[in-house]
Amino acid sequence: MTTIAVVTAGHSTPSSTHLLGERLADATLTALAGQGVRATAVFLDLRELAADLANQSLTRFAGGRLQDALDRVVQADGVIVVSPIYNGSYSGLFKLFVDALDEGTLAGRPVLLAATGGTPRHSLAIDHAMLPLFYYLKALIAPHPVFAATKDWGAAGGRLEKRVNRAARAFAELVVEARPARGGDEFQVTDFTELLG
Amino acid sequence: MQIGIYTVGDITPDPVTGRTPTEHERMLAAVALAKKAEEIGLDVFATGEHHNPPFHPSSPPTLLSFIAAQTERIILSTSTTLITTNDPVRLAEDYAVLQHLAEGRVDLILGRGNTGPVYPWFGKDIRDGIALAVENYALLRRLWREEVVTWEGRFRTPLNGFTLVPRPLDEVPPFVWHGSIRAPEIAEQAAYYGDGFFHNNIFWRLAHTQKMVNLYRQRFEHHGHGPADTAIVGLGGQFFMRPNSQDAINEFRPYFDVAPVYGHGPSLEEFTAETPLTVGSPQQVLERTLSFATLMGHYQRQLFLIDHAGLPLKTVLEQLDLLGEILPALRAGFAEGRPAHIPEAPTHASLVAARNAEPAERPVVYDEVTGSSPEAGER
Repeated sequence: MTTIAVVTAGHSTPSSTHLLGERLADATLTALAGQGVRATAVFLDLRELAADLANQSLTRFAGGRLQDALDRVVQADGVIVVSPIYNGSYSGLFKLFVDALDEGTLAGRPVLLAATGGTPRHSLAIDHAMLPLFYYLKALIAPHPVFAATKDWGAAGGRLEKRVNRAARAFAELVVEARPARGGDEFQVTDFTELLG
Repeated sequence: MQIGIYTVGDITPDPVTGRTPTEHERMLAAVALAKKAEEIGLDVFATGEHHNPPFHPSSPPTLLSFIAAQTERIILSTSTTLITTNDPVRLAEDYAVLQHLAEGRVDLILGRGNTGPVYPWFGKDIRDGIALAVENYALLRRLWREEVVTWEGRFRTPLNGFTLVPRPLDEVPPFVWHGSIRAPEIAEQAAYYGDGFFHNNIFWRLAHTQKMVNLYRQRFEHHGHGPADTAIVGLGGQFFMRPNSQDAINEFRPYFDVAPVYGHGPSLEEFTAETPLTVGSPQQVLERTLSFATLMGHYQRQLFLIDHAGLPLKTVLEQLDLLGEILPALRAGFAEGRPAHIPEAPTHASLVAARNAEPAERPVVYDEVTGSSPEAGER
């Protein structure tokens, strides 16, 4: 079974950031089904992990439910990440989660970028803030990021839905092709004779 | 089973009184702790090594030799000796001298260190951490085991015809443990040589420590040193106890809440639930500690961190008194159900005995000054 992890960093409940994550997940599962791939989505709402994330940044170990959330990203065939845009960039909570991932977790893993904001004027935050971050992490970035401003939720003609569907179709293709590693075994060992050189 | 204490050597303000101890006070407190540890019947005292404030023990061999002179029985160890940034020749010399002066009551726990700038301060690069640990230890072993060493490597100047002085006591090097929180390479290194593996086991989940220990045990067997359950495992741990558990929690909380490393983070309750820290009654400390053997298999060394986070010396000495009270029960608990084939941690005496059991491999040492050798003297 193909698994899509949906990481949303909305701070309130209900959250338009979570809602965008849901729309993208639904559209992705539909697109995958169209290609004959059965898939499920796992939602990771960072709001519920906020204290664990702050603690992890100090202690370096993932307490509470955080380890389970990190493991779900490692095991996912693709990851949808959705952050609210604050002060022109992703939120602090969002970055805490990204920083908590083990090195290499997102390398070669399909990632669909998405963000929410008050007005469409923030839409370029995906390009100037999120893109460099995920390039750095060597993620396989899907070609159509989705930004949803508050106004988009009431826009006529299903324009947001069209953008969501187009992004999901391209992302689904990456997911089918990529087959990323289900996370290396952190306890895998190199024989010592090799280490001795 | 060896039971002991290890100090990080941090100089932290006492959050209750607001007073910061001096380096001098903390150094002498370490000596007092070691003597007290021996007095209550503990087996090991170990000190950390640091080269930056707010820590005092930059020269563990000096500290430990001062303690050696004032104790008779307790084993002196390190937690940890930086195998990455120290010159292995210097380590071989320092700990050979200490081993002689302490009549063999010395072993080492090697570690890579966790303070980035220490590497450049000593002319090294942290990205070479594992490679340094591998090369430096390989050289350290040879210096202690071969009389004349000719060597060339990546990280220090070559040696041509180098002879370490003094030779290790009785030509038996100190036993070595390799410490690591999460590097499988270090568990593999310990396993390859049949050395001990030590996990500090104080900040991370027990399940993680368990995986590292299991990896070491499996590789120990793979490298032909014996069954996995006979590998030499050491664990850290930390506690704060009072006869009444609520008193322990109330007294320790102000120290925990602002402690270096985990202060201002998880609550005391979260941290005690998720890591080996135990705050409570002596009975709770006893039960939690004995549970480590259930999780990790029968092991050889248990060290406790008790003197950190600004706790005053008087309080720490009281902790040792309480530990002394549960020590017989702790030893009895560890002995219960322990199969006869599980070895004890090697000591100088046991290593000498093992070496003597294999006379063929015994090197003949010729004293150029007196013209005699120990072998000649015995006959």
